Amino acid sequence: MTSLWLAWRTTKRYRVRAMLAIVGVAVIGALLFDMLLLSRGLLDSFADLLRSAGYDVRVVAGEGLPIVRLPIAGAARLAADLRALPEIRDVVLIRIERATAQAASHTARTITIVGTTQTGGGPYTIVKGDDLPTSASSLDRCPVLVSRRLAASLDVGPGSSLQVSVRPEGIRSALPSIACRVAGVVNFYFAAAGEDSVATTMDALQDALGVPADAELILVASRPEAGPAAAVRAIERLRPDLRAYSNEAVLAQFNQNGFAYFRQISLVLSSLTMAFAFLLVATLLTVSVNQRLGEIAALRALGISRTRIASLLLWESALLVGAGAVLALPLGGLLALGLDRLLRQMPGLPDRLHFFVFQWRAVIMHAMLFAVTAAAAAGYPVWLATRLPIAATLRREVVG
Amino acid sequence: MKAVVEARRVTRLFPMAAGPVAALRDVSLRVDAGEYVAVSGPSGCGKSTLLHLIGVVDQPTSGEILFEERDVAGLSEAERSRIRLIRIGFVFQRFFLLPMLTARENVELPQAEARVPPADRRARTRELLEYVGLGDRADHLPSQLSGGEMQRVAVARALANRPALLVADEPTGELDDQTGEHIADLFDRVHADGTAILVVTHNPMLAARAQRRVAMKSGSLIA
Repeated sequence: MTSLWLAWRTTKRYRVRAMLAIVGVAVIGALLFDMLLLSRGLLDSFADLLRSAGYDVRVVAGEGLPIVRLPIAGAARLAADLRALPEIRDVVLIRIERATAQAASHTARTITIVGTTQTGGGPYTIVKGDDLPTSASSLDRCPVLVSRRLAASLDVGPGSSLQVSVRPEGIRSALPSIACRVAGVVNFYFAAAGEDSVATTMDALQDALGVPADAELILVASRPEAGPAAAVRAIERLRPDLRAYSNEAVLAQFNQNGFAYFRQISLVLSSLTMAFAFLLVATLLTVSVNQRLGEIAALRALGISRTRIASLLLWESALLVGAGAVLALPLGGLLALGLDRLLRQMPGLPDRLHFFVFQWRAVIMHAMLFAVTAAAAAGYPVWLATRLPIAATLRREVVG
Repeated sequence: MKAVVEARRVTRLFPMAAGPVAALRDVSLRVDAGEYVAVSGPSGCGKSTLLHLIGVVDQPTSGEILFEERDVAGLSEAERSRIRLIRIGFVFQRFFLLPMLTARENVELPQAEARVPPADRRARTRELLEYVGLGDRADHLPSQLSGGEMQRVAVARALANRPALLVADEPTGELDDQTGEHIADLFDRVHADGTAILVVTHNPMLAARAQRRVAMKSGSLIA
């Protein structure tokens, strides 16, 4: 006949009250869980996205954020120098331009074209066809990988021809289009939803531009024994005019700037939901104790200790909050899926970026916050029940 | 005969907005082991206040309450609670059974609190429910019992830890005459089995069963 058992029997006895409390806590808990997922979800998703490329250092020209792209002078020679560093395993040059793509009788579409020296295993998943061929073995002048969306809208697949015309931003140009061949259809990790993307070799992009063009971004993979921090130091020693960022540094910068907004929203809404959960359970328990004052005074008169009464109420609170908090997890998960789908419709976001990402840390935090809420919500009812004057309460109950 | 409980010149004042009101004035009462005492008097005369003091749920403003020769004023709340659990059985006018527990579980509760081993408390509960004539209603909830049956369960619960003193506050107050008589019969048996009883009642039939009757008026004993 433990306090938990008594609390369970009480909860069962006052079924409707218990159900209302559990549903209330579950709804509030679902919101809290979503806020906890949101507080780190975008950052975790962004981290996954960065790591999915397989490179742990990003090199850009000059000052500023790593996403600001300026051409890196002498990028090709720099790549060779970087490859020679003992801290570095692999180097890839990247340049991104706006362009148009046209196939057969279809209307030309504006696309993002990515030139890369990487061949094989880039930040994409091949859906159909092949990867970009290595330049040495390729006879193609312009092999391209197209996004699934573009392949569908232009009705192209592996082996199809595509006319690509580069339109550098901020420059009025009338570059002639070049004929490209679709090597494969892919899902780009970094492509925004609603964005048509194409990847090709750096040589092909330079052909399309008509001039030798420097890369704007260099992706570097450090050697495991050296690590990204050592690679960053080596790059900065080699070219002090450039900025090298490890993935962790990029994430830290985004965590401080880009994601602070989400963290603040999450903190405010989490605090509000906790306050609602506290008020709901504290109110229900207080009402319940007030309804049972005579019963509690009688128990005290029978010699049931204050500790037992307190632990009974704490367990009641724990059962209501615990059941609600457990139900909140699947409910919050479903809600997160819907909200994530909604938020990801914002333009310009990489398709693989998510706002709500499942993390065990969020589950543990959710459980801890609700444990604190259960204890805090029981505080006043416990005080009320254990401090009540037994004789006066019994007298009031009889007179009442 | 040794006293189970003794009130010595106790006064109980209740603070009110218009000034303190004396519910008891200089009252002395002794209940010996195995004695059956009934306290009667008009409403508001201080009967329940006296019972609460003797039952160690309240403290006098002045005077002493000696329970088994110990002055309860010097005891901590935990110690007073322990006395109520082990040495005193309470029966209330409104029964105050826990509605979510069966008759059996209600009787087991004080024993569980007193850490009686489960097998012993099951046996004691069975014995008590048979004693009050409810052996076949052990698994019924209070809501499935009549008023008289609930009060019999309450008596069984009060006797669960073999108390030296049973205190009852208007135990027939919520019952019809016939059911009240059954409860009075039960009290007679409890008394005959050696438990001291202090009953506060308006019911002349119940008061007449006691060995000793005490009358109160305006916070004082008058007989």
